[in-house]
Amino acid sequence: MSRAVGIDLGTTNSVIALIDKDGAPRILTTQEGSTTMPSLVWYSPRGPVVGEAARAGLDHSPDCTIFGAKRLLGRRFDHPEIRRLARTLPFELTEAPNGDTWVQLAAGRAIAPEEVCGLILRELRRTAEAFLHESVTSAVITIPAWYDAAQRQATKDAAQIAGLTVLRLLSEPTAAALGHGAHRGADRRFLVCDLGGGTFDVAVVDVDAGVFEVLATTGDPFLGGDDVDRAIIENLVRDVRQARGIDITSDAIAIERLRLAAQRTKHELSDAATAKLQISELAQLPSGRGVEYNRIVRRDELELWASPLVRRIEAPVVEALERAGRRREEVEEVLLVGGSTRMPAVRKEIARVMGQEPSALPNPEEVVAIGAALEVARLDGTIEGVLLIDVAARGLSMSTLESECEMVIAQSSIVPTREHRLLATRSDNQPRIEFDMWEGESPDPSGNRHLGRYAVVDLPLAPAGDVLVLVEVTLDTDGVVRLSASELVSGERLTLEQIFHAGLTRAEVSRLAKQVAEIDA
Amino acid sequence: MTQARTLHVRCSTWEQVDVFTTRKLRKGKLLSMKVPFETTIGSRVTLGLELPNQLVVAIDGVVQRASPIAVEPGKVETTARTWIEIELTGLTDDVMARIRTMASEESEQHTPPIGGTPMVRRKTAPVVDDLPADEKALFQHLSGELRRLRSAAVHDVLGVANDADAAQVRTSWKNLVRRHHPDLVARRNAPAISHLAEELTILSNRAYDRLRAALVAEGRGTIVGPTLSSPAGWLVGFDDIASGDGTISPRASQPRLQHVPDATPKPRTSPTLPPAQIHGGEAFEQRARVMLGQGQAQNAREVLAAALVVYPRSKSLRSLYYVATAVVALQDGEVMLATSQLENALAHHESCVEAAMLLDHVKKFGADRNEDLMRIFL
Repeated sequence: MSRAVGIDLGTTNSVIALIDKDGAPRILTTQEGSTTMPSLVWYSPRGPVVGEAARAGLDHSPDCTIFGAKRLLGRRFDHPEIRRLARTLPFELTEAPNGDTWVQLAAGRAIAPEEVCGLILRELRRTAEAFLHESVTSAVITIPAWYDAAQRQATKDAAQIAGLTVLRLLSEPTAAALGHGAHRGADRRFLVCDLGGGTFDVAVVDVDAGVFEVLATTGDPFLGGDDVDRAIIENLVRDVRQARGIDITSDAIAIERLRLAAQRTKHELSDAATAKLQISELAQLPSGRGVEYNRIVRRDELELWASPLVRRIEAPVVEALERAGRRREEVEEVLLVGGSTRMPAVRKEIARVMGQEPSALPNPEEVVAIGAALEVARLDGTIEGVLLIDVAARGLSMSTLESECEMVIAQSSIVPTREHRLLATRSDNQPRIEFDMWEGESPDPSGNRHLGRYAVVDLPLAPAGDVLVLVEVTLDTDGVVRLSASELVSGERLTLEQIFHAGLTRAEVSRLAKQVAEIDA
Repeated sequence: MTQARTLHVRCSTWEQVDVFTTRKLRKGKLLSMKVPFETTIGSRVTLGLELPNQLVVAIDGVVQRASPIAVEPGKVETTARTWIEIELTGLTDDVMARIRTMASEESEQHTPPIGGTPMVRRKTAPVVDDLPADEKALFQHLSGELRRLRSAAVHDVLGVANDADAAQVRTSWKNLVRRHHPDLVARRNAPAISHLAEELTILSNRAYDRLRAALVAEGRGTIVGPTLSSPAGWLVGFDDIASGDGTISPRASQPRLQHVPDATPKPRTSPTLPPAQIHGGEAFEQRARVMLGQGQAQNAREVLAAALVVYPRSKSLRSLYYVATAVVALQDGEVMLATSQLENALAHHESCVEAAMLLDHVKKFGADRNEDLMRIFL
């Protein structure tokens, strides 16, 4: 008998939860006794180190210590946000043959973010197995609501690499509402704001007699606590240059120390008006003498530095309300989730945008994982009468070789859903038809995310236009796209070939899964 | 001379057998696979296809291509690995027919599997007889529902009146989802039931999304729930939404994705077309007949093709499609093609009056006097 767990795979921290024998959700603690585990992997000379232990890597070898892999998962290397991110990361990014973003290690090895996330998931899985004394083979994993199909698939691949079967990919805002216990309370109309380490998620969720209906989801994939840290670092680096006359911009180790101190200061400033930042040895002078750096940081300073980021909160919130066809007065409760919502400036901004005070959760970091654990219980029937209804965060489009993209599934369609398109041969005895799938609704392909190119092959020989191929596009409850093709008139199933496809191939995933399983042995 | 090796392919479900015979094989008999031994071109192999009913079908084959797989640097492979392509000479039509018969007998009660790319998690479908009694009943109930709803119009899927307002539509959709959502049956761990539940939910969601879009377009109050942008493309299946025609049809200025022959812009509605209130496949049939009567065989054919997407099991639509194809062929003077199309029509639906009359006509006059053809449909 194996168990299932709920996992909040975060950009900065990950949390694992399960349902106890007495039916209560429970957060598992790591070996170090913490409820959250840093989403860090250090590719040390002695093999990968995951979690708290990998913090050491941030000091020793920042170029081999991967953090924030979730932001890279399933993203194209040429995406402007990735280009921008690449300049600020201490490790190097590289382009995979299919255009995905991979991480280039100093040792010359390129690794897929799926593998990094797989290692994090495996570590969480081992935590659960150590606690339960039985094997854990399946999980509900939470993902940002705005994740596109490629990112969802990449998350599933990461789970497979970790030896976990994904019972459900649950969107984080929904998980938060579930973890908050919304299914037990009165029917309400929620707005969930999830500002984590790396991503910002907004969802309009209705709870009506146990039915959770996500009306709209939006978000900003590159807004989170890490960005606040970066803003602090930028300002402190300037301060160091002015006060000490040394430039530490290119000193990765000094920047990393500054990052840790900045994080601590940021956390302290959530409760206090001032905080003391102390680094006993920030960098070394050419003479070998260490440079000490001490400074008092005031909350208003932090808020000034973070204000460009805090201002970015408004747009996704407004857009989510608009998509849900809802005025802000109609929202009955605003839920704040994610560690970064502890920042007073963030609370203030959300209160301003929404015109009402948000609810403060006692455990904004853990509520998503609890929601994931409750989802496990819901799927196995332990919790009855609760239903989650989700919508497609983005539309799907399709194009043939020369044409513009044409929408197949509209944004905010309720999943699971299915649409079809007809393709006809254009020349006599045409053996195959190729088409592209895109995520996004822009007619211009460059405005959309390319999911893959597919071909319907082995078509029956016939004059041009006589073979009509029916391509069915299914978007399932996990938000993953499935395709199938058949000959329209005869109804015969046709072979679909993948010419190009975002993400790892099945073979690569199983190879990595094997490789990761071997580390255990 | 190497000895003939036997390779086993185990199919634990009929779905897998179907996948194997239709998708894994190229040109019906070429199979590429990875094998853990070295082999040379021309060596003989026997493929043991293990069927779910414990039968093993032995199929002879000859290796057509073999290429060793490069060992990854740094990894020691203990066994040689080779990609081979086998021509299954023993897979005659007889053998295929036998497998097909067995498959159709065994999986008769299954709905056709939704296929897909390798992205799809292949689920193993259980044999119905193994299900406990209540699951069997559930299965039958769900597949019955699915059959019924598949051929129903949107309003009937949701079980609302044609003039239902937004709130009614939403309530009945919610009730449907509450009854059929795949999550509710997930605990049973029965893929066949989950699949049926998913299909039912897809149907209800689509109907709801369509009706919602139509109601919003009609301006009948703001709708509670996510707003939708109008989907473009072939939504002919839901043309029977009275208000849907002008408003959710694709933006006319945009090039169309599907390249149905001579897809010249054409009026989607004309005053002589039947009122849109008629539901189900019949509306399409009537519409197509009117078009055929007006000599617009090409347009009729397109409408029917689209209708078949929605009502794939409708015999009369299918036969009418062949009739329309035949008329198009006649207009091009291709008597042979027309005759074969008409015979097809009759094969699908014996009582297709139009096909019989046309066939008579073609036998008498060939491709001449086409103007008489139109009268058949009036």
